[in-house]
Amino acid sequence: MSGAGLTEPAAVARPVILCADDDPDILSLVSLRLERAGFEVVRVTDGDAALEVIRARRPAVSVLDVMMPRQTGYEVLAAVRGDEATRHLKVILLSARVQKSDIALGIAAGADAYLAKPFRSGELVALVRELIEAG
Amino acid sequence: MADSVPLSGTLRRGLLRGLHRDARSIPASWLYLGVGATAIAVYFFLPATPQSLLYVAIGAVSVTAIFIGTRRNLARGRRLPWYLFGLGLLAQVAGDLVFAFYEISRGHEPPSPSLADLFYLLSLPPLGLGAFLVLRRVGSMASREGVLDTIVVFCGVGLMQWVFFIDPLRHTTFDSRWERIAQMAYPAASVLLLVAVAQLLVGATARVFAYQLLLLSLALWVGANEAYSLDVDQYRGGSWIDALWLSAYVVWGAAALDPSIRGLARRDRRGLPRLTRTRLGLLAAASLTAPAVLVIERISHHHVHAYAVGVGGAILGVLVLFRLAGLVNSVERARRSERVFRHEAQQAQQLLAYQNEQLLELDRLKDEFVSSISHELRTPLTSISGYVEVLLESETDDERRSHLSIVDRNAHRLLGLVSDLLFAARLQDGRLELERDEVDLTRVVSHAVESARPRAENGGVRLDTVLAAVPAVRGEPDRLAQLLDNLISNAIKFTPPGGDVTVRLTATDSTVSIEVSDTGIGVPEAERERLFERFFRSQTALERQIQGTGLGLHISKAIVEAHGGRIGVDSNEGAGTTFVVDLPVAG
Repeated sequence: MSGAGLTEPAAVARPVILCADDDPDILSLVSLRLERAGFEVVRVTDGDAALEVIRARRPAVSVLDVMMPRQTGYEVLAAVRGDEATRHLKVILLSARVQKSDIALGIAAGADAYLAKPFRSGELVALVRELIEAG
Repeated sequence: MADSVPLSGTLRRGLLRGLHRDARSIPASWLYLGVGATAIAVYFFLPATPQSLLYVAIGAVSVTAIFIGTRRNLARGRRLPWYLFGLGLLAQVAGDLVFAFYEISRGHEPPSPSLADLFYLLSLPPLGLGAFLVLRRVGSMASREGVLDTIVVFCGVGLMQWVFFIDPLRHTTFDSRWERIAQMAYPAASVLLLVAVAQLLVGATARVFAYQLLLLSLALWVGANEAYSLDVDQYRGGSWIDALWLSAYVVWGAAALDPSIRGLARRDRRGLPRLTRTRLGLLAAASLTAPAVLVIERISHHHVHAYAVGVGGAILGVLVLFRLAGLVNSVERARRSERVFRHEAQQAQQLLAYQNEQLLELDRLKDEFVSSISHELRTPLTSISGYVEVLLESETDDERRSHLSIVDRNAHRLLGLVSDLLFAARLQDGRLELERDEVDLTRVVSHAVESARPRAENGGVRLDTVLAAVPAVRGEPDRLAQLLDNLISNAIKFTPPGGDVTVRLTATDSTVSIEVSDTGIGVPEAERERLFERFFRSQTALERQIQGTGLGLHISKAIVEAHGGRIGVDSNEGAGTTFVVDLPVAG
């Protein structure tokens, strides 16, 4: 498995990643994975908080659960894309809704990637890295 | 009289053409008709005395035939009309006997009126009553319309008989009053018989052979009587009219001898008489009697029966009006019930539409349910397999690693089941849509075999491939991989340790075939058809507790069919099973 975060030099500013999921177990799983891969992770458990963090901290990548209280992942995504200041930020939708139609809908709504639950950690980390490099 | 006589083939076929009876013998009725016709032919070549005797004999034999046929063919309780016919004809024969007595002993016809006339006239009530009973049984008078038609015909016939046959006798000079009455009685009685003939002609019942014979005999009888009445004075024994009377005797006897007479004893339940062309023609003729009689009398410069024609015409007019009113009423009734039915149909349609809507709603709810269940199951599975993965990364103890692997494997299996359920639910809705690309099956097969290899090795099963170079097919790689995974997993599951599973890939010009064969427990013949049904599990799988949901083959079949292919199974119980998938070549 790649990317043990401990090898990264602490002085270099680590990219900030936002993780939003209302399921605390999954939230800590995703965060754990990304932290171990060397990212700084901000955790939130609902859509409102996610949007607040995105506006305040401009995370390089936001990993949003679709079904969240207050605002769904789609609603947050729409707000991000609708704001000139945040439009360029990368967003990954993470969902247990895995039918082709769901995925197509997510991409059409402006997500940079759509990741199905359950995911393999390698898959998640590679995707985040890829988006940061592309950005 | 013998019921039937064996006969040679050719003759038999000739006689039986158009008939439906026992093919091994001539029916008694036909035999009787044949003998009777011969006797009538002989009659005209005989000198006076034997001629008179033969006349009586033919009548007597026919009466006997009627009694014998009635007893043989009809059940007790059904015989009355035919006994009445027999009785009536017996009276006729008695009259004939008196007639013959005069002819032979005195050398001339009996005086008028004589005992013969008495017998002849006595025969009419039983004949008429018999005809009435038969008609009632075959349903000619079961309805108001049927009765009205009968009365219309009766009036028409009555008017005609009065004007042309009965009334003229009032102005003829007779030796006695009794002679006049006797002579007038014949055409009067004919009215009843004519009505009976008309009713039989339009009768609604099935036209069995005996029915037709009865109709013919009555018609012959009435015809003879009418011809006789037209010219009473010219009649001598041996006249052509005798042929009619004699034929009537013979045909009547034949009718009683024919087994189809039973059909006449059965009640016809068709209700309303249908306005057939014959019935319409008969009614038209009857209702036009009055003007026709008037015209004929005027043309032939006869005395015009103004009163009779006027009264007859008026009665006929009223009757026709009644009949018409009945028709209009029944049309009204039909229209009313049509309206009711249409209303009911509309209501049923509305109900159906409503239920349809509800079904669609239920269907939507089911979709939502399946999809949300799948979502709900996937979320905890994400945590389970995610954390197991985390643990596995840092675990160094082999035994614990092995236990964690088991948890991981089963979490994935559970995920597979959830996916299969979701997939099957979508199949049920007919929502399997493919994204079609050119697919190299060699690659898909190799990949599927390689990912199944660890499972095969665990189960002690040898997994082999025989892959030929095959043309590409059009389809969705993921679905084809799912198909192969299902088939190969099944084969491994049902093969005991030490067995073989072989995957073959071959091609013809138009199809690529994938064959997955195993040396497993096999599928009993009775189960092969049901193998692809949703949730079907074979008895052996249940007995041996081989895990599964009964969805794999159902899904496989759907995938194959969505690709325009076919899937089949061949199996020797206890020796192995082979699944064959044929997919059309791309392009």
